[in-house]
Amino acid sequence: MLRTLLAAALAALAAPALGQRLAADVDCKPTKHDLVYDCRIALTEAASRKPVAGADVSVGADMPSMPMAHNVRPVKAKPAKEPGLYTARLELEMYGEWALKLNVRSPVRDVIVKKIDFRERP
Amino acid sequence: MDEYALGVLTNVGLFSFLALSAYLLLVAGEMSFGQQAFFGVGAYAAGIGTAMWGWPLPVAALAAMALGAAAAWLVGLPTLRLRGLYFAMATLAAAEMFRILFELFHYQRTIDGELVGPDGTQGFRGIRWVLERGIEQETFLAAVWALVLLVLGAFALVERTRLGATLRMVGEDPELAAVLGVNVARVKLGVAAAAGALAALGGALYAHHNTYVEPRNFDIMLGVHSLAYALIGGLGTALGPLLGVALDIGLLESTRVFQGYRMIVFGGLVALLLIVRPRGLLDELTVNRVAAALRRRRTA
Repeated sequence: MLRTLLAAALAALAAPALGQRLAADVDCKPTKHDLVYDCRIALTEAASRKPVAGADVSVGADMPSMPMAHNVRPVKAKPAKEPGLYTARLELEMYGEWALKLNVRSPVRDVIVKKIDFRERP
Repeated sequence: MDEYALGVLTNVGLFSFLALSAYLLLVAGEMSFGQQAFFGVGAYAAGIGTAMWGWPLPVAALAAMALGAAAAWLVGLPTLRLRGLYFAMATLAAAEMFRILFELFHYQRTIDGELVGPDGTQGFRGIRWVLERGIEQETFLAAVWALVLLVLGAFALVERTRLGATLRMVGEDPELAAVLGVNVARVKLGVAAAAGALAALGGALYAHHNTYVEPRNFDIMLGVHSLAYALIGGLGTALGPLLGVALDIGLLESTRVFQGYRMIVFGGLVALLLIVRPRGLLDELTVNRVAAALRRRRTA
């Protein structure tokens, strides 16, 4: 515990920032089941827009007005055939606006938040 | 530990600051529905400090606490003239004013080719200080809980002092406290400022855990939960609000089987609990009984 805290304190004092920023486009399509969506994530480097292949990405979601009450347990995104493309299936609790949180663990550490309005099919 | 468990434990720690903030006011006899406003002030202030001005998080968190205390003091000046339900309503109105101010707040800068900063209803993205320093989730969790323990230690110390006794007296019988020479208004204003600083610290850490905040994060729902944490956990000890947060988030997580209806199940369980234990699980009577039992065991 003490070692972990010391590491945090040292990190807090360390000036240089690490890593590069990532960007993502997310497109979620409804499945035949209510409130279940298949999401397609295109992960790129923010500066160069080059696709980021082989990433470890998980996708969670929160309702902004109820951040800890309505949330989706994070699911691991699976790589699709094309480089930089990933898919994840989300099971929501209700329709409305959700903040999707893409947690990228590798090749760089980053968190990308995308807001998507999931509406009931007419 | 998996990412999900880490997230839940971090959230319990983060919302504990909000719960302790509501508890502090409850001990001083005031029920606030507005502590989420100072949580939001802390989130925005610390986010601006690190993401836009390049401050280290500890400095930004301290500045956020100062701002949270100042905001709570300003809100307390007119609202603490009111009593009971009127005070509760006034704090709720003040919190909504803050939320609307966050919605109107636009202040962005281009950093590394990306616009960073509060953008009204679109929220504030890119609070990446923790990520950019390569601080792992486990380390952040440990830091959050170390701060929670530090605050709990401070509460335990204050409870044993004259100030602690004064706070309880002001909360339970303000007229008697005034007769005994306590400046009740000043004590309550001080408590409001301290509670604001605590909530702001929670908000500062929340923004850096989440990397993104938006005005709707700080609406009435969070205010109701913050009060519920303290009321469920109990008003007898500062451990009460922590128990309240753990139960609240634990109940919400364990009722996932009810899907979208779990808030209804959760609300029913909370109502039932408060009927059986109106001053929470760790109320004053329970705490006194446990303390007496411990004393007896020590002397035996």
